[in-house]
Amino acid sequence: MRFNPGFFLKEALKNIRLNLLMSVTAVTTTFVCILVLGTAILVSGHIEGIIGSVRQDVSVEAFFAPDATQERIDEARREVEGYPEVSEVTYISQAQALADFKDTFRDNPEIYQDLGSDVLPASLAIQIEDPSDAEAVAGKLKSAGFSEENLSYPQQTIERLNSVTSYMIWGLRAATALFLISSILLISMTIRLSIFARRQEIEVMKLVGASDGFVRTPFVFEGLLQGLVGATFAALLVVWFNYLFVDWAGTALPFWPISSSAVNAFFVVVVLVAVGAVIGVLGSFLSVTRFLRV
Amino acid sequence: MIRFDNVTKLYGRDTVALERVNLEINPGEFVFLVGASGSGKSTLVRLILKEIEPSRGAIYVKDTRLSSIPRRHIPRLRRDIGCVFQDFKLLPNKTAAENVGYAMEVTGQKRRAIRTKVPQILDLVGLSEMMDKYPRELSGGEQQRVSVARAFVSQPRILIADEPTGNLDPETSVGIMNLLERINRIGTTVLVATHDRDMVDAMRKRVVALENGRVVRDMVKGAYADEV
Ligand SMILES: Nc1ncnc2c1ncn2[C@@H]1O[C@H](COP(=O)(O)OP(=O)(O)OP(=O)(O)O)[C@@H](O)[C@H]1O
Ligand SMILES: [Mg+2]
Repeated sequence: MRFNPGFFLKEALKNIRLNLLMSVTAVTTTFVCILVLGTAILVSGHIEGIIGSVRQDVSVEAFFAPDATQERIDEARREVEGYPEVSEVTYISQAQALADFKDTFRDNPEIYQDLGSDVLPASLAIQIEDPSDAEAVAGKLKSAGFSEENLSYPQQTIERLNSVTSYMIWGLRAATALFLISSILLISMTIRLSIFARRQEIEVMKLVGASDGFVRTPFVFEGLLQGLVGATFAALLVVWFNYLFVDWAGTALPFWPISSSAVNAFFVVVVLVAVGAVIGVLGSFLSVTRFLRV
Repeated sequence: MIRFDNVTKLYGRDTVALERVNLEINPGEFVFLVGASGSGKSTLVRLILKEIEPSRGAIYVKDTRLSSIPRRHIPRLRRDIGCVFQDFKLLPNKTAAENVGYAMEVTGQKRRAIRTKVPQILDLVGLSEMMDKYPRELSGGEQQRVSVARAFVSQPRILIADEPTGNLDPETSVGIMNLLERINRIGTTVLVATHDRDMVDAMRKRVVALENGRVVRDMVKGAYADEV
């Protein structure tokens, strides 16, 4: 059989026009499903973004003994910077520590009035990539010569935060997957319904000698077009929502770590349009196949 | 060309549509299939198209046993058999011309060939004015003629017509029958299932009579009923 995309595309467009109500229903269903799915991806992207930035704030502090030499400090700092779990190391000198302290209590100068510049110890503030590594890093610091009391790491807080946030992330992913599955079901049901209404047409085509592929191709093109149109509108709307939300959060929720980088708009559009197109194609393909056994 | 070998067809468990039918139709023959309503004529037609399978026995078309044809080769069989269906089976979303053209498109014929051939054939069945009408805009007889045009537009080796004149006035009926005869004369095997007594009697062709699913008569140059 010759494959003539022009012929099949023309057939598909004609069928869409002639079955306009069914086509509009299929496009609308796709649109709504993809919109909900896109919103779920958006929400979960932003919540993961917030969780990510909260986790990033987890740090371990290692204090030096008052008599630590500069050599000892430099050596310790170099070693800690070499740990693979560590993302950033900041050295806080005694003077810096006092300055920070004064800054914190600037409204009550009597608290620090009598403090000498060498009372507060120098320390390393160590940012950790993954909070679950905090204990491992603390262990390494101990073998590097820091005693337990010279280390400050909020071990329990980290553990709790870690388990709560991973539950949240998995919950969000499960919800998104659920939306995806219901979209697939709903869209393919609509397609199946519209093809069911035309099963006699399919039967006639088969009886006058059309091959399965010849009957199926215009339907698949139709599904592809419907999926693309519905999903594209939904995806653009989702991205627009995202833009509005990030913009609004910037002024209304200034201390929330919400940024446009939490959701990759291009990626979202590509995924949503692809999902719409694939469901449209597969849905039509499978539905037509059911009626080809004539 | 077509051979029924002891064919029985049951619908469900106990509706016997055809019973032990033996029938041989030779290449180039013109055969009338007559019988009362419900005698099994359409069932016989559907078996030849492999639309349904026999319950017992074997059917051969062009020496190929139908039960041995794999599903993917069924379209090839049907392109060799033009069929006028009792209920027309036109595609509702296509115009008369597109319906006729579809039978050429499934065989992969060139657009240009379709554009020249379709109007000629529609003219032959007297529908040149109706080319761009949809089936719902056509009368029963007009739809039937579109169905006739579609059945032989791709010049099949076998032409089957199930009640091709059922909805036509006598004059148009004669026209269609003459057309079928002309198609037969160029070598096409023609099988016509019909109730049309006058037509059968006038044409003096081979007549196969069915009664309750059995072949009760098979006469060369026969008539609709036994001659008194
Ligand atoms: N799909 C079906 N399911 C069950 N029974 C059927 C089916 N099709 C036909 N029958 C039965 O089989 C018998 C033969 O039917 P068929 O359609 O072959 O008759 P026919 O000779 O074409 O009649 P008519 O002249 O009215 O078209 C009838 O008794 C009919 O009720
Ligand atoms: Mg019948």
